[in-house]
Amino acid sequence: MSSRDVMIEIKGLSKWFGKIQALDNLNLDIKKGELLGIIGPNGAGKTTAIRITCCILKPDHGDIIVDGYSIHQDPLKIKSIIGYLPEEPNLYERFKARDLLRYFAELYGVPKADINPRIDELLELVGMTHRAEDRINTFSKGLRQRIGIARALVHDPNVIIFDEPTMGLDPATSQNIRNFIRQLKGDKTMILCTHYMDEADQLCDRVALLDQGRIRDMGTPDYLKSKIHGDIILQIRVQDPRQSDQEAINALSSVESLEVVGGKYQISLKSRDEISYVIDILGSRVISVNTKEPTLDDVFIRTVEE
Amino acid sequence: MMNFTTITRWEFKNTLKSRKFLLIFFLQISVLFLMIVVFNSFAANLESEKGLSITPSLTGFATLDVEDQGGLFSKRLNPEVLTIQNSTYNQGMARLANGNIGGFFAVPSNSVALIQNNDRVATILYLDYRDPKRSVIRQEVNNTNQILSSTLTSAYLDSLKSQNNTNQPGITEKTSGESLPLQIVRKVMLAVLLFLPLFLFGNLVIDSIVGEKERKTGEILMAMPLSSTDIILGKSVAVVLTMALQVAMWMIILLGAGFQLKNAAIVYMTVVLTALPIVGLTTIIAAYAKNYKEAGIGLSFAYIFIVGLLIVPLLAYLSRQSAAANISPMTLTMRLFSGETIAPVDILLSFAFILILSLLSYGISIKLFSRDDVVFGPRPGIIRLALELLGIKKRRVLK
Repeated sequence: MSSRDVMIEIKGLSKWFGKIQALDNLNLDIKKGELLGIIGPNGAGKTTAIRITCCILKPDHGDIIVDGYSIHQDPLKIKSIIGYLPEEPNLYERFKARDLLRYFAELYGVPKADINPRIDELLELVGMTHRAEDRINTFSKGLRQRIGIARALVHDPNVIIFDEPTMGLDPATSQNIRNFIRQLKGDKTMILCTHYMDEADQLCDRVALLDQGRIRDMGTPDYLKSKIHGDIILQIRVQDPRQSDQEAINALSSVESLEVVGGKYQISLKSRDEISYVIDILGSRVISVNTKEPTLDDVFIRTVEE
Repeated sequence: MMNFTTITRWEFKNTLKSRKFLLIFFLQISVLFLMIVVFNSFAANLESEKGLSITPSLTGFATLDVEDQGGLFSKRLNPEVLTIQNSTYNQGMARLANGNIGGFFAVPSNSVALIQNNDRVATILYLDYRDPKRSVIRQEVNNTNQILSSTLTSAYLDSLKSQNNTNQPGITEKTSGESLPLQIVRKVMLAVLLFLPLFLFGNLVIDSIVGEKERKTGEILMAMPLSSTDIILGKSVAVVLTMALQVAMWMIILLGAGFQLKNAAIVYMTVVLTALPIVGLTTIIAAYAKNYKEAGIGLSFAYIFIVGLLIVPLLAYLSRQSAAANISPMTLTMRLFSGETIAPVDILLSFAFILILSLLSYGISIKLFSRDDVVFGPRPGIIRLALELLGIKKRRVLK
């Protein structure tokens, strides 16, 4: 990747909170127009990494270069090209939706003539035109999140950072938010921190798995899934599981792993061709057979366990 | 710079639009009206001949009938404590028996003649032993007897002295200026009234800065292209503007109520400028406090300190005319509205104090607000922070 393609470059980032190390020599490049997902368990350092990128926190070591600007030298410049949506939108309750967007547009230095058309455009994008004159304290969590998205986009930033944007929202609202993110894909460089693996799988170009302040693995969702498991996972419930079954199955060439989970064999196969051999070994004791594609959940759990 | 004024404009606009604020604003004005009434009656009482008594009144505490045709004793009984009624022996004894009075004091009708002849005057005090106030009556009658006795002795001794030696040079006392108590009431209280609005809006600073932490809106604000200076100054100036508005209202009301406020424009400017360091010190507390409770405790201590800093020099000026007392803007304000001629060095001293305190307080609060450990935690202790700010200790980074 040439340096001209890179929008965000995280270099050797470390951060301590008292005696706890939140980030440990974190290195990461994000391309222009890319949507990078960051997944990881609680306390992995996702929010810290994001807050440092937004120049809200200062690192103890390392640097982040955003569009050629360093967080140490040009924090205000970086802040002006980033739109940030935290997990909780945390909006000023007494403001009306339109006033809130106007306030932030003014703080971002949006030219006065552009403010009203921009606000109208964003309210329409998030489907909130009819609530523009209502106070924030009358909105549900989902509506607040929509206004939060509009607020993050009010200055038309090149970089957008979402921290758990669908956390605690109902499935329909979550889907709406994902659709907004999908609409922005390609034009903007985006970082999406999430606990929902299917969300990262659906939306992200690449996913970084963060644990204990370090990148444990990174790549496209397909690449990560294929790294953890073979092409397919077989889940077979049998009567009277025997040790000899496991030995015979493990002897097959495409078997990557075999686990007994809740009375079921969970077998990871590199090739679908050997499914029939597995069934033959177990014979008439088979009660049910399911096939399962590997998910990022599997990647996440496996990596964290390791 | 642009962003700092944007914050000020929005904060000020939202404050004025807030119903809660308007309610507080008008409640404060009604308190001012009440204080003016109390102030006026207090000053009027001090100016009157009676002066102001802070001892509780005992008027009418006990009742006593007196038979004293010469009037020698009855005129000297203390009317502040006893309700005295002239009576005859029969009337007095009847009223005493009925419990209408606490005592009856009988003085012989020829008492004056007896004294002139240097004879003993035998008086009798009848007391109702059912009445617990009898001891007070006895005490008052005894006091009167003693006073009368010493007056008569003095008069007798004076009569023995040579006529040539009795005349003492006469001293006529003429007063000018106001007594210290009256000055305290007139000047100090007026100065306090003028500065009071500066202490009534501390909650606005707290709400504006600690509220951002409590509501977690601070995270968004810090993600804006704003420096800590923009945020602290923007919010502080909005509060100073609110105070300036309230001080203007109070001054108009005080002038309307007939108070003498000379140099009103300069007085107004001085009071408003004093708001800068007061808000600055409040901002330090707000920047450090984790929540409203902490900020409230800190604010109480800070305001005791600030009030002391303003009032103690003012009192020192009134009692000693100390030049150093001009360090307090309250002293300067008092001298300004009293129409005193003030030396430029006194004005400079006061304004230098405002400037230094403002620079220090805003500098510290901006430094605090720039530190992510203070805003997001884990927050260092006050002593460690002070040592770090003074450069005595280095900021701790664990590796």
